[in-house]
Amino acid sequence: MSWVKSASLNSEDVFDENADELKLQSKEWTSNMKKRVKDGYVDGVDAGQEASLQAGFNLGFKEGAAQTVAVGRLRGILGAVWCWCQIQHPEKPVPTSVTDLLQRVTEHESQIMEDIRRALENPPPSVSDISESMDALEVEQEDPCHCKDGGNGPCCSKRDENMDVDNPIKDQTICSGSISCSSSSGESLNLLLQHCVDLVSELGLPQELIDHINELRSINQPH
Amino acid sequence: MEMPGVYTSDDLFDSILLADEKFRGEGFHEGFERGTRRGLQDGRRHGASHGAKLSSEISFYHGFAIAWKCLLQESTDDKSRKRVKALDTLLGLIQNSNLEDPQSVKLQDETEKLRAKFRQVCSMLNIPTDFRDYIKVTEGTSF
Repeated sequence: MSWVKSASLNSEDVFDENADELKLQSKEWTSNMKKRVKDGYVDGVDAGQEASLQAGFNLGFKEGAAQTVAVGRLRGILGAVWCWCQIQHPEKPVPTSVTDLLQRVTEHESQIMEDIRRALENPPPSVSDISESMDALEVEQEDPCHCKDGGNGPCCSKRDENMDVDNPIKDQTICSGSISCSSSSGESLNLLLQHCVDLVSELGLPQELIDHINELRSINQPH
Repeated sequence: MEMPGVYTSDDLFDSILLADEKFRGEGFHEGFERGTRRGLQDGRRHGASHGAKLSSEISFYHGFAIAWKCLLQESTDDKSRKRVKALDTLLGLIQNSNLEDPQSVKLQDETEKLRAKFRQVCSMLNIPTDFRDYIKVTEGTSF
């Protein structure tokens, strides 16, 4: 029949071609929509980060500030004692006990700063971070299952796995609202305080100063 | 995923756009949640470092001033009284400084005033050069 012939003339192999064409268009559609999701995702990440950065900063600022109050004050007290010794007896060097303790306190404080940086900086990239990068690279995975109600499929358990890996990090960074700090630094501060009290006594300095040093014990220390 | 039905070309176009926006929107929402978590964490890290540093500096001045007040308490001469007065002013500035709002412009002004006062106090106390060097290194302020 002539219409079949003319149809054939327009496209090579009409029936097969149509079926393939539809399939191709469908695939293209799917791929385009997936790309939309990813584009939206990337934009969403940027927007979310920008929106929360300042809030995070303000929160962290207060937390970090709390961690150096006691040790900072102790350093100031010892600094004053150092100067006092130097001024009172310019002919003699400042006692090594004073210089040494000041150095130890300074180092202790540096350690605290270092711990702060490390605590929030170096969780290794979580599995979910990595899988996100893989998504961005369009490495083919199972269709991410947007489980609204935590289903039971294999992709859901993979998601749970991601969340489990995330959680220890979350705990580390948001542990009871404060930055986690090793308890050993808390103990050594008490030791430094005690040494300072002993030193100040030895030097025959006023009792009031010793009282001030002892007050530092009760300044809110992170755990 | 349904192919849009056969409508007029305008309707077709609309429904494609709608689908487009819908998927983009879903992606955006999920990304936003993740970005928020990350931003919070990054911000918190930077904030903590800054807060710790500033608090360390101000607390240092605090301990320094309190100790010197104790050390001078016995002295009643003019010079010492002037020094104690300066120390009290410094302590007053410290107590009024508020580290609650790192964004406040007031905080920057207050910190600068504090530092200036501290330098003045050190001059009055004849703080040795060695120690001024120490302060320069640890507090990052110079004389």
